[in-house]
Amino acid sequence: MMVRVTIKGFVDMLPLNLAVIPWGILCGSLAIQRDFSVLEALLMPLLVFAGAAQLVATELIASNASLATVLFTVFIISSRHFLYGLALRDKLKKLPLPKRLSIAFVLTDELFALSAGKKSLRGKLRITYGLAAGISFYLGWLIWNIIGIVAGSYLPDLTSLGLDFAIAATFIALVIPTITTVPVLVTVIVASILSVVFKLWHWQLDLVAAAIVAMVCGYLCLQVQTKFAVIDKRQGSIS
Amino acid sequence: MTLLTILLMTCITFTTRYLFLHPSLPIKLSPQISSLLSFSAPAVLTAIWVPIILVQENKLVTSITDPYLVAATIAIFVSIITKSVYWTVGTGVLAFTVVRYVI
Repeated sequence: MMVRVTIKGFVDMLPLNLAVIPWGILCGSLAIQRDFSVLEALLMPLLVFAGAAQLVATELIASNASLATVLFTVFIISSRHFLYGLALRDKLKKLPLPKRLSIAFVLTDELFALSAGKKSLRGKLRITYGLAAGISFYLGWLIWNIIGIVAGSYLPDLTSLGLDFAIAATFIALVIPTITTVPVLVTVIVASILSVVFKLWHWQLDLVAAAIVAMVCGYLCLQVQTKFAVIDKRQGSIS
Repeated sequence: MTLLTILLMTCITFTTRYLFLHPSLPIKLSPQISSLLSFSAPAVLTAIWVPIILVQENKLVTSITDPYLVAATIAIFVSIITKSVYWTVGTGVLAFTVVRYVI
């Protein structure tokens, strides 16, 4: 059973692995093109293991930005993970330390999206499944980066090719099918509008700010819905 | 120097992922907060992909023939119909390539 669950987790992550091929190759090749050594370029996906943070940090380091600037920027870009940790806290905090550390290490946007369901990551089997999916994505990311590192100097500058569209398409594929209730629809609409507005305003915390306000709107909408459902029920029982 | 930067970056990305999973952190999530957090996936993921489509070079996209906009619209419809990640990403990327490089 464990083996089957592991394989399923691995396989279920494959479409997301494929979707980040261009993005991973871009990250690897950009590091080489910006004069990182092979070791440094390898350590980025191996240890930092992040998409946007890796890419932005590579550009910043190459342009001789100060250490504080690089670290602060990485912190801002990564701060959305705090929300993932909070959302998964009750499910994961009781796991033994090695498992908790492993899941945290592979906790990407993609893994969070895959395990945002109510049932997911509950119980031993689902934890194994999630861990397998996370590791699958880690290995995929590593391979695409290595291809980029090897091909690095032969490739043209890929940053202007529009490779980020594949990322957007992945998230469309992950979000749209989950819009099954009005509160989730409200969340998505508010997040869409605010993320664009904040981005145009050049807010550093644009993503997280937009997401938090959107979550509150979705939550309030759910409260209103529940309230009306209660009133409806009462009126129903009177008449 | 770059090596040190990479190691420190590793600490940051890992800490943001691990911090709230640490059991002895004095945080108890009330049912209200848990309910609020259940909206985090659609909220965060949407706040990532919508600006990729609609904001280019610090400007709002206004052209309805923009490849990002056209391909995203197609991807959304494919996603509603098929609910499949493969179909959505495949059709979306194909549409994007066609609009951007062929038309």
